[in-house]
Amino acid sequence: MPISKSSSEQAVFASSAYGQQWAGPDGDRLTIALQLLQSEMPSTIQIDSFVDSLEFTPSTPVDSIIESTTDWTVSSDGEFHLLASTTSFVVAISKHEVIRQWPDLPSTKPVDEQQKTALEEAWMNEIMGVSQGAYVSQSQHMLAMPSRLGLHAQEDASKIVWPPRQLNEQGQRIAPVSSRLDNAAKILTWTRLSAVGAPSEFSLRAPLLGGVSTVLVEFSSGPKGVFMLADDEEGQASIDQRVTFEVRRLYGQDNLIHYGLKALLN
Amino acid sequence: MVDVAMVGAGQTKFGNHPLGLKGMWSEAVEKAFSSVDNDCSPSMVEEAFIGSIAFGGSQLGNTAALLTEHSGMDGVSVRRVENACASSGFALRDAWMTIKSGQADIVVAGGIEKMNDLSAERKRYWLGVSGDTEWERLAGLTFPGTYALTARRYFHEFESTHDDLVHVSVKNHMHGFDNEVAHLRKDVSFEKANSGAMVADPLTLYDCCPTSDGASAVILVADHLAHQFTDTPIWVKGSGAGSDKLALHDRPSLTQLRATQLASQKAYSIANVQPNQIDLAEVHDCFTIAEVLATEDLGFAGRGEGGRFARDGLGRRNEGDVTINASGGLKSKGHPLGATGTGQAVEVFKQLRHQVESTRQVRDAEVGLTHNVGGSGATCAVHIFGRER
Repeated sequence: MPISKSSSEQAVFASSAYGQQWAGPDGDRLTIALQLLQSEMPSTIQIDSFVDSLEFTPSTPVDSIIESTTDWTVSSDGEFHLLASTTSFVVAISKHEVIRQWPDLPSTKPVDEQQKTALEEAWMNEIMGVSQGAYVSQSQHMLAMPSRLGLHAQEDASKIVWPPRQLNEQGQRIAPVSSRLDNAAKILTWTRLSAVGAPSEFSLRAPLLGGVSTVLVEFSSGPKGVFMLADDEEGQASIDQRVTFEVRRLYGQDNLIHYGLKALLN
Repeated sequence: MVDVAMVGAGQTKFGNHPLGLKGMWSEAVEKAFSSVDNDCSPSMVEEAFIGSIAFGGSQLGNTAALLTEHSGMDGVSVRRVENACASSGFALRDAWMTIKSGQADIVVAGGIEKMNDLSAERKRYWLGVSGDTEWERLAGLTFPGTYALTARRYFHEFESTHDDLVHVSVKNHMHGFDNEVAHLRKDVSFEKANSGAMVADPLTLYDCCPTSDGASAVILVADHLAHQFTDTPIWVKGSGAGSDKLALHDRPSLTQLRATQLASQKAYSIANVQPNQIDLAEVHDCFTIAEVLATEDLGFAGRGEGGRFARDGLGRRNEGDVTINASGGLKSKGHPLGATGTGQAVEVFKQLRHQVESTRQVRDAEVGLTHNVGGSGATCAVHIFGRER
């Protein structure tokens, strides 16, 4: 979903396509910020006040997420500041520590107020409850984050390896990260699970979205992967179709929000 | 080397079972021992292998010791075997290897699962624990989704459509209709099976097996004891197992199960049997597309011909060279995860001894095969049985 952007002397601003009042079904200030950072020339950036603006605590540190998914470097004395309005879903990159006047950014997609409210409640309930959802250890979330969010891959005897592996067939350890996959891939197959067929961690949101779509894709360098489809309200996947990827919220559990890449139909 | 014979086999009815773990297991063991023609008792068992996922977390630790305690096998060397839906297929293989290696002469293999007294939410959690949690599940997949990905790709690669899967569903419901231990005993028309509610596009409700409660157990003995217990032992002629990448996307092919191919090649080789010698095969049709793949990977149909095999009715009872899922398969007989593999062996045991309901009997059944898959194909155990040693 393309972000809406505007610039002024003091900052570059961005919101989701839904405008300043909503970040979308699986978006938040962080997902908008990542898209904004990816669209600007990389530099160094300070993020302290931005982290405080997030509704929920991410399961992995925000600086790690930014550095895994963009070419920006997070630094306490960074050249720029990443900032977010606390009253709207507008984020900014600025050389100033404070934004005095947050702009009104136009929406390019209409907001279904009923769905927006229901999804916000679902996220709240999901993250506050101790769900019967997938258990992936916190350390594993941390270790896999560069691969999961940034498509960092390994290389083993000229073969690109992703998702990451530990040992090869010769029993040798494969080096952690050596390259990054393209942010685009081709659909080999896809499915749409009905709400009742979706995993339990999506059980509150799946009915509101009419199910959950998943694509199995192949990257041009060889690896394959599975991703949930985002923003597919008006389109249906097809085999051989191209997709790109964006960081979105995946699920909430035990007061933490987990992020991952989702596929968008091109 | 020692040959292995199956001299007893029993199971509960699969479905919504009123009993708990102890009760179901005891019933399966009781039926297995009472099926032995001559005196045989649980106290004679030297080793036991019990397959279970411990669905719902019920007695997750030391499951097997609790079950043998309640089935007259007090003191026996026992362990739980866990390989997802292939748990008791591997329990059977472990039992076979134990006798083959000379470590024991009388061994019980079995399986159990209690699935239907959980809340819908807990059930959905447990149904997803055997896939690749980190990558597949976080992409929204449970097994209906994974097999749906396979089905759509299969249709794309070969001349096959969802109609072929409907034929699988109709056949297995027809086979299971007269099976008194089957979970879903209802004849289903093509039109009905073709109009099920969508679960994971393109798979509908009629492409998916039910979640069942159940337990099953078989008694294996070394060759020198076989005729002490029965005049008609069923010989475990071959056993093979294999594994593959846990996640579908990590496999070279999306439309073949390498684990099945590896397991069946080993089993055929040990048994010195060819696919065209198999009279009946109980294959792991957790979803209808899985049966289509199995007919190819087990060598009953050529690559890409599994859809046509189903369309032409070649797996129907007594209509082709091999009867596929005479019991009704997982689709109709039911799928109590850990109990499924040895449940398949119970069916083959009875079919080869001509002891099933007359309407279900596979004519002149001499050689049978069981095919038990874990998850979307990460593990597989194949066994070949015969009336002749």
